[in-house]
Amino acid sequence: MTLDETKAGLDAVEEGPHLSEKSMGSSDGKIADPDGHPSVVALLLRFGDSVSGHRVSAGTQHVVWIDSARNLEVLHWLRDDQDHQYDMISDITAVDYGAGRPIDVVYQLFSTVYKRALRIRCELPLDGLEIDSIVELWSAANWLEREVYDLFGVTFRKHPDLRRILMPHDYEEGHPLRKDFPLRGRFSRAEQTRRALDQSVEHSYIAEEMDLGRDPQQAVPIIGTKDGDG
Amino acid sequence: MSKRTVEFNVGRNPEMGVDGSVVDSPIFPFDMPEPDLGTENMLINIGPQHPATHGVLRLVCELDGETVKRVIPHIGYLHSSFEKLGEYRTWNQIVPLTDRMDYLAPLIYNCVYVMTVEKLMGIEVTERCKVVRVICMEMDRIFSHLLWLGTTAIDVGAFTPFLYAFQERERIYQLHEAFTGARITTSATRVGGMMADLPEGWTNGLQDFLDTFPKTLEEIDRLLTRNQIHIGRSQGIGAISAEDAINSGFTGANLRACGVDYDVRKDQPYYDYETYDFEIPVGQYGDCYDRYLCRMEEMRQSVSLLRQALERLPGGPIDVEDPNISLPSKTDCMSDMESMIHHFKLITEGIPAPEGDCYMPIEGSKGELGMYIVAEEGGTKPVRWRIRPPSLVNLSVLPKLAEEHLVSDLVMINASLDIVLGEIDR
Amino acid sequence: MGLRDVLPGGGTSSVTGGMFGDGGPTFLTSKIDWIINWSRRNSLWPMPFGTACCAIEMMASAASNYDLARFGMERMSFSPRQADVLICAGRVPYKLAPVLRRIWDQMPQPKWCVSMGACASSGGVFDVYSMVQGIDTIIPVDVYVPGCPPRPEGLIYGLMMIQEKIREESLSRHFEHRAEDPSSVARPHANDAQVVGLTGPFGNSTQQEELSNKESGATEEPPEELIP
Ligand code: SF4
Repeated sequence: MTLDETKAGLDAVEEGPHLSEKSMGSSDGKIADPDGHPSVVALLLRFGDSVSGHRVSAGTQHVVWIDSARNLEVLHWLRDDQDHQYDMISDITAVDYGAGRPIDVVYQLFSTVYKRALRIRCELPLDGLEIDSIVELWSAANWLEREVYDLFGVTFRKHPDLRRILMPHDYEEGHPLRKDFPLRGRFSRAEQTRRALDQSVEHSYIAEEMDLGRDPQQAVPIIGTKDGDG
Repeated sequence: MSKRTVEFNVGRNPEMGVDGSVVDSPIFPFDMPEPDLGTENMLINIGPQHPATHGVLRLVCELDGETVKRVIPHIGYLHSSFEKLGEYRTWNQIVPLTDRMDYLAPLIYNCVYVMTVEKLMGIEVTERCKVVRVICMEMDRIFSHLLWLGTTAIDVGAFTPFLYAFQERERIYQLHEAFTGARITTSATRVGGMMADLPEGWTNGLQDFLDTFPKTLEEIDRLLTRNQIHIGRSQGIGAISAEDAINSGFTGANLRACGVDYDVRKDQPYYDYETYDFEIPVGQYGDCYDRYLCRMEEMRQSVSLLRQALERLPGGPIDVEDPNISLPSKTDCMSDMESMIHHFKLITEGIPAPEGDCYMPIEGSKGELGMYIVAEEGGTKPVRWRIRPPSLVNLSVLPKLAEEHLVSDLVMINASLDIVLGEIDR
Repeated sequence: MGLRDVLPGGGTSSVTGGMFGDGGPTFLTSKIDWIINWSRRNSLWPMPFGTACCAIEMMASAASNYDLARFGMERMSFSPRQADVLICAGRVPYKLAPVLRRIWDQMPQPKWCVSMGACASSGGVFDVYSMVQGIDTIIPVDVYVPGCPPRPEGLIYGLMMIQEKIREESLSRHFEHRAEDPSSVARPHANDAQVVGLTGPFGNSTQQEELSNKESGATEEPPEELIP
């Protein structure tokens, strides 16, 4: 195999998922039939102006797009309202479609009282990757939001302890789950190995870190905020 | 950024130098006032390579004497970027990744992944396939709980349950191997069916296991349940209330130990779990001992579920009969041009998916295990593949649980959460 | 080193001098070699550096059915200070790399390393941004056990290969076996070109043998066909 062939093969691997031009999966303002799900009806009634889309996915799963500025308010209401009581947050994640499309933050809710599930999505434009943290509603959100911050670069306002969680604290290559991030990272393997061994094993051993998250007002962490090019 | 390593706050006399001068050492800085014993806490580090952390988990603890004031878990030491890798693979190529994520219950992960894809694509698998998958999942629930049991017992100083548990696990290994050819990395499922049908005589092997396993379980039960040391180490340790548990995202046996009877198998049933006769064990105090009891009982329920599933195992095909989804048989491929082309297209291109997203939760061995898949119209690869990791969310409660306990209890609490780092870090 | 001074005919300071030189080992030294190697290889204390799936198979090898203790590995040494063999079982991400390197540095000589499984040996399927592509870029490896995961029999065979390797060792070549460059502490085992060569897509494993036979800190021109 010549070098060129190898490179061509490599490119094919690097290419990753193909993306269509269609505005797939975005909040197109269309409202699918909400009758199957009482919470969607109620959401439309109460927060109608903030709901930017709704559809039924995979047969029975209701997805509602809401305005990212009001996520805290809507989720708070969904958690506490007597008729809905989504007391469990199953998952928080994000979706990057690539091609300059907004990044979606996805909340997967479940009500242990009514045994209903609902998915809330908020679109964030690439130049404004900020959304309110919901740690005050569910403490389960703490690590899940940190993970989204680490892998997508979405900043959660008022998060008590927003640091990288999976990648090293001084990781400089960016946010790996973005579509523009190459599978093997941005640096060469040699550079990555060198940087890896330069990491300080004692990093998590310092006193400042123990002060993190003690005070919820202290939103700016002392260490580990150094952001890559993302 | 100032750094300091462990600061031993020993009450040392400043005039202790050899030559009578004041000692100026990094441990005891010269200008520091004489320390008052018990005022400043000590930082210690456990892990990432430590036998008691059940993987490469790192815990940084702030101690006052031997009492844990605060513990900060550090994860990511096993981040293998499954989710990114999945975006570069076709639907069926992802299956081998799933069992490397939770190597304690690989078949459950195989199953939940294909279930999510099938749900997204609207594929209804055959009756036989459903029951076979239930068998797989329940078998691996036992598989995973046994490892948890063995390693947790070691943490409280009991080595015998580990050996007993591994003996039984070895038999499940053999069942895995007979079915899939691999001991851990099973990769047994495919979209629309299984890799292969159960081999002949496999059900007899499982039946054998079910006949003798409860005896071993009772032996382990006798060793631990009323064992004074075990009780002392686990009762009243790491307790959490039901509301707190729900709010902080606990699922699985950890949540049920607090008295919440949330089980995905009952609450969002899949694969006809509602027609099986089984019970959800629920605890009362939410401490380590209740978690232990719940898991022990869950294994017994799984045995009963396995018996029921074996009884109702129907005949018929195991793969859906749709040439766009299932591979044609090897014999057909070799003799028939049509099948050959189908085979080629399926392997090279993959299965086209409809546009949309799908979240599918099931009751994994560690808690609510969900997969979230976003696909584009006609896409043969996921746009986003996300695993809702039950252990990650369970582990994030550890700081709350361990507060004001002793260091040795921290080890017990960590063990009782039943974490697997492969899936926490992904 | 001390042994050489007390042995008859020894006492010279040069590595190749004295009775350990050209003439090869004598009766006495070969007997001492035999005794030392025999005791070393039958009392190996493994340091299990288990991270992922392979670690479960490692536990299975230590449990009742496979019983690693039969080979003198009764005691799993969880402290690197008391260990002889590092069994690296499982994936090693870059975040874990300094930990692995430090544990290796902490182990006293004589020490050996088994790389268990595809991931530890070459990165396996995880050719991604976060994974070390083969631990031989970080620490020297003696035996690679292939498989994903290797069966316990495979691991046991790998450990027996280590025993085999120990059997071949000789005090007269002590410095050859135990060579370790102090400046390589906490540094990668391979140089940049080697790392790129080893970890290149589609390219690893071919140069592995070359690397593992080499002393640490070696600087050799990389093969030409390396993918940049
Ligand atoms: S080689 Fe296979 S079994 Fe071993 S750690 Fe890697 S993925 Fe897991």
